[in-house]
Amino acid sequence: MEGMSYLTVGYLGMILGIAIWTWTVFARSKNLELRIDAIETSMGKEDIEADSIALQSTISEEN
Amino acid sequence: MGERIRASFLSVGFVGIMSTLYLGLMWAPSVAIDAFESPAAQRIFYWHVPSAWAAFIAFAILFIGSALWFFKRSPTGWRLHVAGAEAGLATGLMTVWSGTIWGSAEWGTPWDWTDVRLNTFGLLTLLALFLVLGRRSQPDGIETRDVFSAFGLFGFALVPFTYIATRFWVIRHPGPVVATGSDGSLQSDMALVLFIGAISFTIFIIGHILTSMHITKLEQRVEMLQSEIDKGG
Repeated sequence: MEGMSYLTVGYLGMILGIAIWTWTVFARSKNLELRIDAIETSMGKEDIEADSIALQSTISEEN
Repeated sequence: MGERIRASFLSVGFVGIMSTLYLGLMWAPSVAIDAFESPAAQRIFYWHVPSAWAAFIAFAILFIGSALWFFKRSPTGWRLHVAGAEAGLATGLMTVWSGTIWGSAEWGTPWDWTDVRLNTFGLLTLLALFLVLGRRSQPDGIETRDVFSAFGLFGFALVPFTYIATRFWVIRHPGPVVATGSDGSLQSDMALVLFIGAISFTIFIIGHILTSMHITKLEQRVEMLQSEIDKGG
């Protein structure tokens, strides 16, 4: 392969990497937001912000 | 942090990364033909070095997050750990990919197992892969987080080792071109494009880290709601 071919393959691979990474992140975010909305609506709940594992860890250290 | 801020970081970073690509291909001067086996392939350097820089930032975030979780039990620390591991994996893979392509063109082989920098950086990327896949395959819990944080803390030792590797063991990988303590070997136009690339990748990775932290927060909310449902609401 010529140098320009290597360069093209290298850059295309990285562009693909950036695209997949960004798309995955946005898709996960959107999916989770929809799930939370659906659960909260069905439970009639407001937003819950806490991290249950961190809370559990703090409680176990206090005891 | 608001969605608009996260999107702004990602957009500005992305535009900067694409501008770096354009400048690297169309504006930056060519290297001397006799200095490289494949002068054209050398232009991969304008994304390879900034992505490696971004990977080091991600591993620093991973270290800080791991320490905050391990010693302070900080929920933000855990979110930083997760975001640092994901960003470290993505940027690490980009660096390894561009490096192996350039190695194939320049050295005739994609990887040199005797080169210290290649191997320590490869190990760092594998560590990030282990943390990302491990977290997805294990149930979330205090012990799981402690184990992954310990890996994040000890793995960071590879970062300074990787950084100084080419100063002490120059085997195949070229030596550092920035922060060398001397004037450096880069022409000013090349250095400018590289600088724009480093800034752009930094902004982009900050956007990704903020977004990833937001996602972890959402995942924790889902788990919280799930446990409430399990308890009977």
